[in-house]
Amino acid sequence: MATVMNPRTVGAGHERGERAPHTVSPPADIYETEKTYVVVADMPGVAPAGLSVEAERGTLIIRGRPERPATPPDYQEFELGEYYRAFALTEDLNTDGITAVLRDGVLRVEIPKSVQTQPRKIPVKTE
Amino acid sequence: MASPSTWDPWREMHRLQREMERMFADASPMRRWPLGAEFPPINVTRTETGITLEALCPGVDRATLDVSVVGDAVTIRGERKPDPGVNDGQYHRRERVLGAFNRAIALGERLDGERTAATYTSGILRVQLAWHPDTTPRKVPIQA
Repeated sequence: MATVMNPRTVGAGHERGERAPHTVSPPADIYETEKTYVVVADMPGVAPAGLSVEAERGTLIIRGRPERPATPPDYQEFELGEYYRAFALTEDLNTDGITAVLRDGVLRVEIPKSVQTQPRKIPVKTE
Repeated sequence: MASPSTWDPWREMHRLQREMERMFADASPMRRWPLGAEFPPINVTRTETGITLEALCPGVDRATLDVSVVGDAVTIRGERKPDPGVNDGQYHRRERVLGAFNRAIALGERLDGERTAATYTSGILRVQLAWHPDTTPRKVPIQA
């Protein structure tokens, strides 16, 4: 069976009505490599000190608090809010080995697959 | 049943676009930006000597990031690239808008390109722009 990491938002804050007014869900890409799943999320305005990545009870939660300007702009096309998003993790992922890198407002989280689910190359002997 | 002459594909496309805008209105600060509008979204703040322009553009390849000033206009160019070596088939979800962008913003008064400074921090491009000396008010003595 194919391993699927469910990108569905779960937990507190999932329903639109439950969110704080300035909480936004960062757009994310998810891709799979031989040994990992990679989540890439746009979180512009967030510095490392304002970022939190947690994996707990089968859920990956990313939060970010951007540094907001002291004075409101004279002309405004975007507004920075707090970022929140949760992803359900399937059991075949190794949450102890998760790594996260934040660069230029893009968060990249790598979640290793459990050793059992990684493809194993079986040597074929020739006689 | 509507007659064929009442069918207007453009009207239908605009209706779909409006629906899409409503659907994504709360998704992210960038998608709050209406479809078809220019990327990146900007905020502008006036200062005593000029203007501070902020553009929301995370993950831009720094080698492609370019800011230029001509007359009263600032042009921002860059490219958001996908992770290298990842094929389409490896993606489970793609929500981020990637690709090259080019946006020109006219500010109405002549700018001094020599006194322009830009920084790129946490995915926000900040450009400090100064008005050209010719556009700053000069006190004119009144002769008797």
